[in-house]
Amino acid sequence: MEIKDITFSYQDKVKRLQNVKAEIRKGEITTIIGPNGSGKSTLLSVLTKNNQPQEGQVILDGKAISQYKPKELAKKLGVVHQQNTAPADMTVEKLVHYGRLPYKNTFSPKEDKDEKIVKWALESTGLYERRNEAIDTLSGGQQQRVWIAMALAQDTPYLFLDEPTSNLDIYYQYEILELVKRLCDKHGLTIVMVLHDINQAIQYSHNLIAMKQGKVIKKGDPEKIVTDQLIKEVYGVNIVVKNDDDAGLYILPLGI
Amino acid sequence: MYKKIISFIVVIGLLFAVTIYSMITGSIDITARELISGLLSGTNENVEIIKDLRLPRIIISLFAGASLAVSGVLLQAVLRNPLAEPGIIGVSSGAGFVSIIMITFFPALYFYTPLFSFIGGMIAFLLVYMFSWKSGLNPLRMILIGVAVNALFTGLSEFLSSQNASSMMSGVSVTSSTLTMTTWSDVEVIVLYGSIGLILAFLVYAWCNHLGLKDKTLKNLGFNVNRPRFIISVIAVLLASTATAIAGMFAFIGLLIPHIGRTLVGNDHKLLIPFSALAGALLIVVADTLGRTIADPIEIPASIIMAIIGGPFLIFMLRKSDRIYGN
Repeated sequence: MEIKDITFSYQDKVKRLQNVKAEIRKGEITTIIGPNGSGKSTLLSVLTKNNQPQEGQVILDGKAISQYKPKELAKKLGVVHQQNTAPADMTVEKLVHYGRLPYKNTFSPKEDKDEKIVKWALESTGLYERRNEAIDTLSGGQQQRVWIAMALAQDTPYLFLDEPTSNLDIYYQYEILELVKRLCDKHGLTIVMVLHDINQAIQYSHNLIAMKQGKVIKKGDPEKIVTDQLIKEVYGVNIVVKNDDDAGLYILPLGI
Repeated sequence: MYKKIISFIVVIGLLFAVTIYSMITGSIDITARELISGLLSGTNENVEIIKDLRLPRIIISLFAGASLAVSGVLLQAVLRNPLAEPGIIGVSSGAGFVSIIMITFFPALYFYTPLFSFIGGMIAFLLVYMFSWKSGLNPLRMILIGVAVNALFTGLSEFLSSQNASSMMSGVSVTSSTLTMTTWSDVEVIVLYGSIGLILAFLVYAWCNHLGLKDKTLKNLGFNVNRPRFIISVIAVLLASTATAIAGMFAFIGLLIPHIGRTLVGNDHKLLIPFSALAGALLIVVADTLGRTIADPIEIPASIIMAIIGGPFLIFMLRKSDRIYGN
Protein backbone atom coordinates (compact mmCIF):
# COMPACT_ATOMS: atom_id res chain seq x y z
CA MET A 1 0.00 0.00 0.00
CA GLU A 2 1.35 3.39 -0.98
CA ILE A 3 0.40 6.65 0.69
CA LYS A 4 0.93 9.45 -1.81
CA ASP A 5 1.03 13.05 -0.62
CA ILE A 6 -2.08 12.96 1.52
CA THR A 7 -3.46 16.28 2.72
CA PHE A 8 -6.60 16.21 4.78
CA SER A 9 -8.70 18.60 6.83
CA TYR A 10 -12.15 18.43 8.39
CA GLN A 11 -14.75 21.13 7.76
CA ASP A 12 -12.81 23.53 10.00
CA LYS A 13 -10.06 23.73 7.32
CA VAL A 14 -7.31 23.03 9.83
CA LYS A 15 -4.86 20.72 8.12
CA ARG A 16 -4.82 17.47 10.09
CA LEU A 17 -2.54 15.75 7.59
CA GLN A 18 0.04 17.50 5.42
CA ASN A 19 1.78 15.84 2.47
CA VAL A 20 1.92 12.50 4.18
CA LYS A 21 4.00 10.03 2.21
CA ALA A 22 4.72 6.48 3.29
CA GLU A 23 4.71 2.92 2.20
CA ILE A 24 3.03 0.06 4.02
CA ARG A 25 5.14 -3.04 3.39
CA LYS A 26 3.31 -6.29 2.76
CA GLY A 27 3.47 -8.96 5.42
CA GLU A 28 4.89 -6.60 8.02
CA ILE A 29 3.64 -4.67 11.03
CA THR A 30 3.66 -0.90 10.64
CA THR A 31 2.90 1.22 13.68
CA ILE A 32 1.96 4.89 13.66
CA ILE A 33 3.13 6.78 16.75
CA GLY A 34 2.90 10.39 17.83
CA PRO A 35 1.43 12.64 20.50
CA ASN A 36 -2.29 13.37 20.92
CA GLY A 37 -3.65 15.33 17.98
CA SER A 38 -0.71 14.46 15.74
CA GLY A 39 -3.02 12.90 13.14
CA LYS A 40 -2.34 9.22 13.82
CA SER A 41 -5.95 8.13 13.93
CA THR A 42 -6.84 10.58 11.15
CA LEU A 43 -4.22 8.95 8.93
CA LEU A 44 -5.67 5.55 9.76
CA SER A 45 -9.14 6.79 8.86
CA VAL A 46 -7.89 8.05 5.48
CA LEU A 47 -6.11 4.75 4.79
CA THR A 48 -9.35 2.86 5.48
CA LYS A 49 -11.50 5.27 3.42
CA ASN A 50 -13.46 6.50 6.42
CA ASN A 51 -12.28 9.97 5.44
CA GLN A 52 -11.58 11.28 1.95
CA PRO A 53 -8.36 13.28 1.56
CA GLN A 54 -8.50 16.64 -0.20
CA GLU A 55 -5.23 15.90 -1.97
CA GLY A 56 -3.24 12.79 -2.64
CA GLN A 57 -4.13 9.15 -3.01
CA VAL A 58 -3.85 5.86 -1.26
CA ILE A 59 -2.90 3.10 -3.67
CA LEU A 60 -3.85 -0.45 -2.71
CA ASP A 61 -2.72 -3.27 -5.00
CA GLY A 62 -2.25 -0.93 -7.93
CA LYS A 63 -5.57 0.88 -7.58
CA ALA A 64 -6.59 4.01 -5.65
CA ILE A 65 -8.83 3.09 -2.72
CA SER A 66 -11.27 5.81 -3.84
CA GLN A 67 -11.88 3.64 -6.92
CA TYR A 68 -12.86 0.57 -4.91
CA LYS A 69 -16.50 -0.35 -4.38
CA PRO A 70 -17.37 -0.60 -0.66
CA LYS A 71 -17.63 -4.40 -0.60
CA GLU A 72 -14.56 -4.82 -2.77
CA LEU A 73 -12.53 -2.76 -0.33
CA ALA A 74 -14.00 -4.65 2.62
CA LYS A 75 -12.54 -7.83 1.14
CA LYS A 76 -9.11 -6.19 1.08
CA LEU A 77 -8.88 -4.50 4.44
CA GLY A 78 -10.42 -5.07 7.84
CA VAL A 79 -10.56 -2.34 10.47
CA VAL A 80 -10.81 -2.50 14.26
CA HIS A 81 -11.93 0.86 15.60
CA GLN A 82 -11.07 2.23 18.98
CA GLN A 83 -14.66 2.40 20.14
CA ASN A 84 -17.28 -0.08 19.12
CA THR A 85 -20.88 -0.76 19.95
CA ALA A 86 -23.08 -3.79 19.51
CA PRO A 87 -26.37 -4.89 21.06
CA ALA A 88 -25.46 -6.13 24.54
CA ASP A 89 -27.18 -9.49 24.20
CA MET A 90 -25.60 -10.40 20.87
CA THR A 91 -23.50 -13.55 20.98
CA VAL A 92 -19.81 -13.53 20.14
CA GLU A 93 -20.32 -15.85 17.21
CA LYS A 94 -23.11 -13.77 15.74
CA LEU A 95 -21.05 -10.62 15.87
CA VAL A 96 -18.05 -12.31 14.29
CA HIS A 97 -20.36 -13.50 11.50
CA TYR A 98 -20.87 -9.85 10.57
CA GLY A 99 -17.33 -10.04 9.22
CA ARG A 100 -18.80 -12.08 6.36
CA LEU A 101 -21.06 -9.24 5.23
CA PRO A 102 -18.76 -8.12 2.37
CA TYR A 103 -19.26 -11.53 0.76
CA LYS A 104 -23.04 -11.48 0.96
CA ASN A 105 -26.21 -9.94 -0.31
CA THR A 106 -28.95 -9.08 2.14
CA PHE A 107 -30.75 -12.38 1.82
CA SER A 108 -28.00 -14.85 0.99
CA PRO A 109 -27.71 -17.76 3.44
CA LYS A 110 -24.72 -18.81 5.52
CA GLU A 111 -22.36 -21.12 3.69
CA ASP A 112 -19.86 -23.70 4.88
CA LYS A 113 -17.03 -21.39 3.91
CA ASP A 114 -18.40 -18.67 6.21
CA GLU A 115 -18.64 -21.13 9.08
CA LYS A 116 -15.09 -22.25 8.49
CA ILE A 117 -13.62 -18.77 8.44
CA VAL A 118 -15.63 -17.66 11.46
CA LYS A 119 -14.41 -20.72 13.33
CA TRP A 120 -10.83 -19.87 12.37
CA ALA A 121 -11.31 -16.24 13.49
CA LEU A 122 -12.74 -17.39 16.83
CA GLU A 123 -9.94 -19.90 17.38
CA SER A 124 -7.18 -17.45 16.43
CA THR A 125 -8.46 -14.99 19.01
CA GLY A 126 -9.04 -17.65 21.67
CA LEU A 127 -12.78 -17.06 21.75
CA TYR A 128 -14.08 -20.34 20.36
CA GLU A 129 -15.07 -21.64 23.81
CA ARG A 130 -17.01 -18.47 24.51
CA ARG A 131 -18.73 -18.17 21.14
CA ASN A 132 -22.24 -18.57 22.54
CA GLU A 133 -21.85 -16.00 25.28
CA ALA A 134 -23.34 -12.51 25.14
CA ILE A 135 -20.84 -9.74 24.41
CA ASP A 136 -21.57 -7.72 27.53
CA THR A 137 -20.58 -10.66 29.75
CA LEU A 138 -17.00 -10.49 28.43
CA SER A 139 -14.08 -8.48 29.86
CA GLY A 140 -12.63 -5.46 28.03
CA GLY A 141 -9.75 -7.48 26.62
CA GLN A 142 -12.06 -10.21 25.41
CA GLN A 143 -14.38 -7.68 23.80
CA GLN A 144 -11.46 -6.16 21.95
CA ARG A 145 -10.59 -9.63 20.68
CA VAL A 146 -14.18 -10.10 19.48
CA TRP A 147 -13.81 -7.03 17.27
CA ILE A 148 -10.49 -8.30 15.99
CA ALA A 149 -12.14 -11.65 15.27
CA MET A 150 -14.84 -9.87 13.31
CA ALA A 151 -12.22 -8.14 11.18
CA LEU A 152 -10.43 -11.47 10.71
CA ALA A 153 -13.66 -13.05 9.49
CA GLN A 154 -13.52 -10.53 6.65
CA ASP A 155 -10.59 -12.64 5.43
CA THR A 156 -8.55 -9.65 4.27
CA PRO A 157 -4.82 -9.35 3.57
CA TYR A 158 -4.69 -6.04 5.45
CA LEU A 159 -5.72 -5.40 9.05
CA PHE A 160 -5.90 -1.90 10.59
CA LEU A 161 -6.13 -1.38 14.35
CA ASP A 162 -6.75 1.98 16.00
CA GLU A 163 -5.19 1.96 19.48
CA PRO A 164 -6.05 -1.70 20.10
CA THR A 165 -4.51 -1.67 23.58
CA SER A 166 -6.10 1.47 25.00
CA ASN A 167 -8.11 1.03 28.21
CA LEU A 168 -6.72 -2.45 28.77
CA ASP A 169 -4.49 -3.48 31.62
CA ILE A 170 -0.98 -4.60 30.84
CA TYR A 171 -1.73 -8.32 30.59
CA TYR A 172 -4.47 -7.79 28.02
CA GLN A 173 -2.32 -5.24 26.18
CA TYR A 174 0.35 -7.85 25.58
CA GLU A 175 -2.25 -10.47 24.81
CA ILE A 176 -3.51 -8.28 21.96
CA LEU A 177 0.03 -7.46 20.78
CA GLU A 178 1.01 -11.13 20.77
CA LEU A 179 -2.13 -11.89 18.79
CA VAL A 180 -1.23 -9.20 16.26
CA LYS A 181 2.30 -10.59 15.94
CA ARG A 182 0.95 -14.12 15.43
CA LEU A 183 -1.44 -12.92 12.74
CA CYS A 184 1.46 -11.33 10.92
CA ASP A 185 4.00 -14.14 11.35
CA LYS A 186 1.71 -17.13 10.90
CA HIS A 187 -0.99 -15.89 8.58
CA GLY A 188 0.96 -13.30 6.62
CA LEU A 189 -1.38 -10.42 7.38
CA THR A 190 -0.17 -6.91 6.71
CA ILE A 191 -0.88 -4.91 9.84
CA VAL A 192 -1.13 -1.18 10.41
CA MET A 193 -1.86 0.03 13.91
CA VAL A 194 -1.78 3.09 16.09
CA LEU A 195 -0.09 2.71 19.48
CA HIS A 196 0.59 5.07 22.37
CA ASP A 197 3.33 3.09 24.06
CA ILE A 198 6.64 3.69 22.29
CA ASN A 199 8.33 0.61 23.74
CA GLN A 200 5.49 -1.61 22.60
CA ALA A 201 5.71 -0.01 19.18
CA ILE A 202 9.46 -0.71 19.00
CA GLN A 203 9.03 -4.24 20.25
CA TYR A 204 6.25 -5.35 17.93
CA SER A 205 6.76 -3.40 14.69
CA HIS A 206 8.82 -3.86 11.59
CA ASN A 207 8.29 -0.22 10.68
CA LEU A 208 7.39 2.95 12.54
CA ILE A 209 5.79 6.11 11.23
CA ALA A 210 6.41 8.95 13.72
CA MET A 211 4.00 11.85 13.31
CA LYS A 212 3.65 15.32 14.73
CA GLN A 213 1.12 18.02 13.80
CA GLY A 214 -0.09 16.15 10.75
CA LYS A 215 3.35 15.55 9.29
CA VAL A 216 5.54 12.49 9.11
CA ILE A 217 8.73 13.29 11.04
CA LYS A 218 10.46 10.01 10.45
CA LYS A 219 9.71 6.50 9.26
CA GLY A 220 11.47 3.19 9.02
CA ASP A 221 12.95 0.37 11.09
CA PRO A 222 12.52 1.19 14.79
CA GLU A 223 16.03 0.00 15.62
CA LYS A 224 17.39 2.61 13.24
CA ILE A 225 15.13 5.60 13.66
CA VAL A 226 14.38 5.73 17.40
CA THR A 227 16.83 8.17 18.97
CA ASP A 228 16.66 10.62 21.84
CA GLN A 229 16.50 13.51 19.33
CA LEU A 230 13.52 11.98 17.50
CA ILE A 231 11.51 11.42 20.68
CA LYS A 232 12.42 14.89 21.92
CA GLU A 233 11.25 16.38 18.64
CA VAL A 234 8.03 14.37 18.38
CA TYR A 235 6.90 14.15 22.00
CA GLY A 236 9.02 16.81 23.72
CA VAL A 237 10.19 14.24 26.24
CA ASN A 238 13.80 13.58 27.24
CA ILE A 239 14.71 9.92 26.98
CA VAL A 240 17.70 7.65 26.78
CA VAL A 241 17.81 4.78 24.33
CA LYS A 242 19.03 1.56 25.89
CA ASN A 243 19.80 -1.83 24.51
CA ASP A 244 19.11 -4.97 26.45
CA ASP A 245 20.56 -8.31 25.37
CA ASP A 246 17.20 -10.06 25.73
CA ALA A 247 14.68 -7.29 25.14
CA GLY A 248 16.50 -5.42 22.39
CA LEU A 249 16.13 -1.69 21.95
CA TYR A 250 14.01 0.22 24.47
CA ILE A 251 13.60 3.77 25.68
CA LEU A 252 13.64 5.13 29.19
CA PRO A 253 11.87 8.47 29.67
CA LEU A 254 13.77 10.86 31.96
CA GLY A 255 11.53 13.90 32.15
CA ILE A 256 10.51 16.97 30.24
CA MET B 1 -34.47 -19.64 24.33
CA TYR B 2 -37.04 -21.16 26.69
CA LYS B 3 -38.03 -17.70 27.89
CA LYS B 4 -38.50 -16.49 24.34
CA ILE B 5 -40.78 -19.35 23.35
CA ILE B 6 -42.87 -18.95 26.51
CA SER B 7 -43.17 -15.21 25.83
CA PHE B 8 -44.52 -15.84 22.35
CA ILE B 9 -46.97 -18.51 23.55
CA VAL B 10 -48.25 -16.29 26.36
CA VAL B 11 -48.73 -13.23 24.17
CA ILE B 12 -50.49 -15.22 21.43
CA GLY B 13 -52.74 -16.93 24.00
CA LEU B 14 -53.63 -13.63 25.66
CA LEU B 15 -54.28 -12.02 22.30
CA PHE B 16 -56.86 -14.69 21.40
CA ALA B 17 -58.47 -14.63 24.82
CA VAL B 18 -58.75 -10.85 25.02
CA THR B 19 -60.00 -10.53 21.45
CA ILE B 20 -62.81 -13.00 22.11
CA TYR B 21 -63.59 -11.43 25.49
CA SER B 22 -63.70 -8.04 23.83
CA MET B 23 -66.17 -9.32 21.21
CA ILE B 24 -68.64 -10.74 23.71
CA THR B 25 -68.44 -8.00 26.34
CA GLY B 26 -69.99 -4.55 26.34
CA SER B 27 -73.41 -3.00 26.19
CA ILE B 28 -74.58 -6.22 24.53
CA ASP B 29 -73.38 -9.26 26.44
CA ILE B 30 -73.44 -12.67 24.79
CA THR B 31 -71.62 -15.95 25.31
CA ALA B 32 -68.74 -17.15 23.18
CA ARG B 33 -70.92 -20.01 21.89
CA GLU B 34 -73.67 -17.62 20.79
CA LEU B 35 -71.04 -15.51 19.08
CA ILE B 36 -69.58 -18.36 17.07
CA SER B 37 -72.89 -19.87 16.04
CA GLY B 38 -74.19 -16.38 15.24
CA LEU B 39 -71.19 -15.57 13.08
CA LEU B 40 -71.63 -18.84 11.19
CA SER B 41 -75.38 -18.69 10.69
CA GLY B 42 -75.84 -14.92 10.45
CA THR B 43 -79.27 -15.10 12.12
CA ASN B 44 -78.54 -13.83 15.64
CA GLU B 45 -79.51 -10.16 15.81
CA ASN B 46 -77.10 -9.33 18.62
CA VAL B 47 -74.23 -10.91 16.74
CA GLU B 48 -75.07 -8.81 13.68
CA ILE B 49 -74.88 -5.65 15.79
CA ILE B 50 -71.55 -6.77 17.21
CA LYS B 51 -70.34 -7.48 13.68
CA ASP B 52 -71.26 -3.98 12.57
CA LEU B 53 -70.10 -1.98 15.56
CA ARG B 54 -67.70 -3.95 17.72
CA LEU B 55 -65.79 -6.13 15.28
CA PRO B 56 -64.41 -3.31 13.11
CA ARG B 57 -63.03 -1.48 16.11
CA ILE B 58 -61.40 -4.63 17.44
CA ILE B 59 -59.73 -5.36 14.11
CA ILE B 60 -58.59 -1.75 13.87
CA SER B 61 -57.26 -1.85 17.43
CA LEU B 62 -55.25 -4.96 16.56
CA PHE B 63 -53.70 -3.45 13.47
CA ALA B 64 -53.12 -0.02 14.99
CA GLY B 65 -51.38 -1.56 18.00
CA ALA B 66 -49.21 -3.83 15.88
CA SER B 67 -48.31 -1.02 13.48
CA LEU B 68 -47.40 1.51 16.15
CA ALA B 69 -45.33 -0.95 18.16
CA VAL B 70 -43.39 -2.12 15.10
CA SER B 71 -42.97 1.47 13.97
CA GLY B 72 -41.35 2.16 17.34
CA VAL B 73 -38.97 -0.78 16.91
CA LEU B 74 -37.92 0.41 13.46
CA LEU B 75 -37.41 4.03 14.52
CA GLN B 76 -35.33 2.91 17.48
CA ALA B 77 -33.14 0.87 15.13
CA VAL B 78 -32.72 3.68 12.61
CA LEU B 79 -32.13 6.44 15.15
CA ARG B 80 -30.19 4.18 17.55
CA ASN B 81 -32.24 5.63 20.33
CA PRO B 82 -34.32 3.53 22.73
CA LEU B 83 -36.56 6.56 23.32
CA ALA B 84 -37.54 7.07 19.68
CA GLU B 85 -41.24 6.52 19.14
CA PRO B 86 -43.64 7.80 16.45
CA GLY B 87 -45.71 9.73 19.02
CA ILE B 88 -42.82 11.34 20.85
CA ILE B 89 -40.81 12.45 17.84
CA GLY B 90 -43.85 13.95 16.10
CA VAL B 91 -44.38 11.45 13.26
CA SER B 92 -47.89 10.66 14.46
CA SER B 93 -48.91 14.28 14.89
CA GLY B 94 -47.48 15.14 11.46
CA ALA B 95 -49.51 12.31 9.98
CA GLY B 96 -52.56 13.31 12.02
CA PHE B 97 -52.36 16.90 10.84
CA VAL B 98 -52.40 15.92 7.17
CA SER B 99 -55.17 13.41 7.67
CA ILE B 100 -57.30 16.11 9.32
CA ILE B 101 -56.68 18.37 6.32
CA MET B 102 -57.73 15.53 4.03
CA ILE B 103 -60.90 14.71 5.96
CA THR B 104 -61.84 18.39 6.13
CA PHE B 105 -61.21 19.42 2.58
CA PHE B 106 -61.18 16.25 0.47
CA PRO B 107 -63.51 13.75 2.16
CA ALA B 108 -63.94 11.89 -1.14
CA LEU B 109 -60.35 10.70 -1.03
CA TYR B 110 -60.91 8.89 2.26
CA PHE B 111 -59.44 5.58 1.08
CA TYR B 112 -56.15 7.29 0.31
CA THR B 113 -55.87 9.11 3.64
CA PRO B 114 -52.98 6.90 4.84
CA LEU B 115 -50.95 7.85 1.77
CA PHE B 116 -51.39 11.55 2.44
CA SER B 117 -50.85 11.22 6.16
CA PHE B 118 -47.69 9.31 5.26
CA ILE B 119 -46.40 12.50 3.65
CA GLY B 120 -47.13 14.40 6.87
CA GLY B 121 -45.39 11.76 8.95
CA MET B 122 -42.39 11.77 6.62
CA ILE B 123 -42.05 15.57 6.86
CA ALA B 124 -42.08 15.39 10.65
CA PHE B 125 -39.54 12.57 10.61
CA LEU B 126 -37.18 14.35 8.23
CA LEU B 127 -37.36 17.51 10.33
CA VAL B 128 -36.33 15.60 13.43
CA TYR B 129 -33.68 13.67 11.57
CA MET B 130 -32.11 16.73 9.93
CA PHE B 131 -31.99 18.84 13.05
CA SER B 132 -30.65 16.14 15.31
CA TRP B 133 -28.17 14.73 12.78
CA LYS B 134 -26.03 17.85 12.97
CA SER B 135 -25.03 16.97 16.47
CA GLY B 136 -24.38 13.35 15.56
CA LEU B 137 -27.76 11.97 16.63
CA ASN B 138 -27.48 12.82 20.30
CA PRO B 139 -30.33 10.78 21.83
CA LEU B 140 -31.71 13.37 24.23
CA ARG B 141 -31.40 16.28 21.80
CA MET B 142 -33.34 14.23 19.30
CA ILE B 143 -36.16 13.75 21.78
CA LEU B 144 -36.26 17.48 22.50
CA ILE B 145 -36.46 18.30 18.79
CA GLY B 146 -39.15 15.63 18.48
CA VAL B 147 -41.14 17.27 21.26
CA ALA B 148 -40.91 20.60 19.42
CA VAL B 149 -42.01 19.09 16.08
CA ASN B 150 -44.80 17.25 17.87
CA ALA B 151 -46.00 20.48 19.50
CA LEU B 152 -45.97 22.27 16.16
CA PHE B 153 -48.14 19.72 14.35
CA THR B 154 -50.47 19.20 17.30
CA GLY B 155 -50.95 22.98 17.45
CA LEU B 156 -51.66 23.19 13.73
CA SER B 157 -54.16 20.34 13.99
CA GLU B 158 -55.93 21.93 16.95
CA PHE B 159 -56.08 25.23 15.12
CA LEU B 160 -57.76 23.54 12.16
CA SER B 161 -60.26 21.68 14.28
CA SER B 162 -61.12 24.73 16.39
CA GLN B 163 -61.88 26.66 13.20
CA ASN B 164 -64.18 23.88 12.11
CA ALA B 165 -65.66 23.12 15.48
CA SER B 166 -69.24 23.59 14.35
CA SER B 167 -68.98 21.56 11.17
CA MET B 168 -68.46 17.85 10.53
CA MET B 169 -64.93 18.16 11.94
CA SER B 170 -66.12 18.17 15.51
CA GLY B 171 -65.98 14.37 15.63
CA VAL B 172 -62.32 14.20 14.73
CA SER B 173 -59.99 14.53 17.65
CA VAL B 174 -56.40 15.57 17.18
CA THR B 175 -54.97 14.21 20.38
CA SER B 176 -56.85 11.05 21.11
CA SER B 177 -57.93 7.82 19.52
CA THR B 178 -61.00 7.62 17.34
CA LEU B 179 -61.89 3.97 17.66
CA THR B 180 -65.51 4.63 18.65
CA MET B 181 -66.78 5.51 15.23
CA THR B 182 -64.89 3.13 13.02
CA THR B 183 -66.53 1.21 10.22
CA TRP B 184 -65.74 -1.67 7.89
CA SER B 185 -64.35 0.77 5.30
CA ASP B 186 -61.76 1.83 7.89
CA VAL B 187 -60.96 -1.82 8.41
CA GLU B 188 -60.25 -2.27 4.70
CA VAL B 189 -57.83 0.64 4.71
CA ILE B 190 -55.87 -0.31 7.81
CA VAL B 191 -55.72 -4.01 6.93
CA LEU B 192 -54.36 -3.20 3.48
CA TYR B 193 -51.73 -0.60 4.42
CA GLY B 194 -51.00 -2.13 7.82
CA SER B 195 -50.34 -5.60 6.39
CA ILE B 196 -48.04 -4.21 3.72
CA GLY B 197 -46.12 -2.26 6.34
CA LEU B 198 -45.86 -5.17 8.76
CA ILE B 199 -44.67 -7.60 6.08
CA LEU B 200 -42.08 -5.11 4.84
CA ALA B 201 -40.95 -4.51 8.42
CA PHE B 202 -40.30 -8.20 8.90
CA LEU B 203 -38.40 -8.43 5.63
CA VAL B 204 -35.88 -5.79 6.75
CA TYR B 205 -35.15 -7.35 10.15
CA ALA B 206 -31.55 -8.15 9.16
CA TRP B 207 -30.89 -4.51 8.29
CA CYS B 208 -32.29 -3.44 11.66
CA ASN B 209 -29.83 -5.82 13.30
CA HIS B 210 -26.92 -4.45 11.26
CA LEU B 211 -27.72 -0.93 12.46
CA GLY B 212 -26.85 -2.07 15.98
CA LEU B 213 -23.23 -1.52 14.95
CA LYS B 214 -21.59 1.85 14.42
CA ASP B 215 -21.75 3.50 11.01
CA LYS B 216 -18.01 3.37 10.51
CA THR B 217 -17.88 -0.30 11.45
CA LEU B 218 -20.60 -1.02 8.91
CA LYS B 219 -18.81 1.06 6.31
CA ASN B 220 -15.65 -0.96 6.78
CA LEU B 221 -17.74 -4.09 6.26
CA GLY B 222 -18.75 -2.71 2.87
CA PHE B 223 -22.33 -2.16 4.05
CA ASN B 224 -24.01 0.92 2.63
CA VAL B 225 -25.76 2.41 5.65
CA ASN B 226 -27.84 5.12 4.02
CA ARG B 227 -30.15 3.15 1.78
CA PRO B 228 -31.31 0.61 4.40
CA ARG B 229 -31.72 3.42 6.90
CA PHE B 230 -33.94 5.35 4.53
CA ILE B 231 -36.03 2.31 3.60
CA ILE B 232 -36.56 1.30 7.24
CA SER B 233 -37.59 4.88 8.07
CA VAL B 234 -40.13 4.90 5.25
CA ILE B 235 -41.66 1.64 6.51
CA ALA B 236 -41.77 2.98 10.08
CA VAL B 237 -43.48 6.18 8.99
CA LEU B 238 -45.94 4.26 6.78
CA LEU B 239 -46.98 2.10 9.73
CA ALA B 240 -47.36 5.00 12.13
CA SER B 241 -49.20 7.17 9.59
CA THR B 242 -51.69 4.45 8.69
CA ALA B 243 -52.45 3.75 12.32
CA THR B 244 -52.84 7.45 13.10
CA ALA B 245 -55.02 8.18 10.08
CA ILE B 246 -57.49 5.42 10.95
CA ALA B 247 -57.30 4.94 14.71
CA GLY B 248 -56.06 8.34 15.92
CA MET B 249 -53.28 9.17 18.33
CA PHE B 250 -51.82 6.71 20.78
CA ALA B 251 -48.92 7.88 22.85
CA PHE B 252 -46.10 5.69 24.11
CA ILE B 253 -47.07 2.33 22.68
CA GLY B 254 -44.04 2.37 20.37
CA LEU B 255 -41.91 2.95 23.45
CA LEU B 256 -43.51 0.58 25.90
CA ILE B 257 -43.90 -2.52 23.74
CA PRO B 258 -40.40 -2.64 22.19
CA HIS B 259 -38.89 -2.13 25.63
CA ILE B 260 -40.84 -5.03 27.06
CA GLY B 261 -40.02 -7.01 23.92
CA ARG B 262 -36.28 -6.44 24.35
CA THR B 263 -36.33 -7.76 27.89
CA LEU B 264 -38.40 -10.80 26.95
CA VAL B 265 -37.14 -11.88 23.51
CA GLY B 266 -33.90 -9.85 23.18
CA ASN B 267 -32.58 -7.35 20.66
CA ASP B 268 -32.60 -9.65 17.64
CA HIS B 269 -35.13 -8.06 15.30
CA LYS B 270 -36.04 -11.42 13.81
CA LEU B 271 -37.94 -12.05 17.05
CA LEU B 272 -38.42 -8.50 18.29
CA ILE B 273 -40.48 -7.34 15.30
CA PRO B 274 -43.08 -10.16 15.34
CA PHE B 275 -43.23 -10.10 19.13
CA SER B 276 -43.83 -6.35 19.19
CA ALA B 277 -46.55 -6.67 16.56
CA LEU B 278 -48.39 -9.25 18.70
CA ALA B 279 -47.86 -7.45 22.01
CA GLY B 280 -48.81 -4.06 20.52
CA ALA B 281 -52.04 -5.50 19.15
CA LEU B 282 -52.75 -7.03 22.54
CA LEU B 283 -52.13 -3.77 24.41
CA ILE B 284 -54.48 -1.63 22.32
CA VAL B 285 -57.25 -4.22 22.39
CA VAL B 286 -56.88 -4.39 26.18
CA ALA B 287 -56.90 -0.59 26.46
CA ASP B 288 -59.94 -0.28 24.22
CA THR B 289 -61.85 -3.04 25.96
CA LEU B 290 -61.07 -1.54 29.36
CA GLY B 291 -62.12 1.89 28.14
CA ARG B 292 -65.39 0.48 26.87
CA THR B 293 -66.28 -1.54 29.96
CA ILE B 294 -64.64 0.02 33.00
CA ALA B 295 -67.08 2.92 33.45
CA ASP B 296 -69.94 1.66 31.29
CA PRO B 297 -71.98 3.40 29.84
CA ILE B 298 -69.31 6.13 29.63
CA GLU B 299 -66.49 5.32 27.20
CA ILE B 300 -62.92 6.24 27.96
CA PRO B 301 -60.85 6.48 24.75
CA ALA B 302 -58.11 3.85 24.53
CA SER B 303 -55.57 6.61 23.99
CA ILE B 304 -56.35 8.09 27.41
CA ILE B 305 -55.76 4.73 29.04
CA MET B 306 -52.52 4.43 27.08
CA ALA B 307 -51.41 7.90 28.14
CA ILE B 308 -52.03 7.09 31.79
CA ILE B 309 -49.94 3.93 31.50
CA GLY B 310 -47.38 5.43 29.13
CA GLY B 311 -46.53 8.69 30.88
CA PRO B 312 -45.05 7.11 34.00
CA PHE B 313 -43.35 4.54 31.81
CA LEU B 314 -41.57 7.27 29.82
CA ILE B 315 -40.25 8.78 33.06
CA PHE B 316 -39.03 5.35 34.07
CA MET B 317 -37.27 4.95 30.71
CA LEU B 318 -35.66 8.39 30.89
CA ARG B 319 -34.31 7.66 34.33
CA LYS B 320 -32.93 4.40 33.07
CA SER B 321 -31.34 6.02 30.02
CA ASP B 322 -29.61 8.54 32.27
CA ARG B 323 -27.56 5.64 33.44
CA ILE B 324 -26.84 4.55 29.88
CA TYR B 325 -25.99 7.96 28.47
CA GLY B 326 -25.07 9.62 31.75
CA ASN B 327 -21.33 9.70 31.13
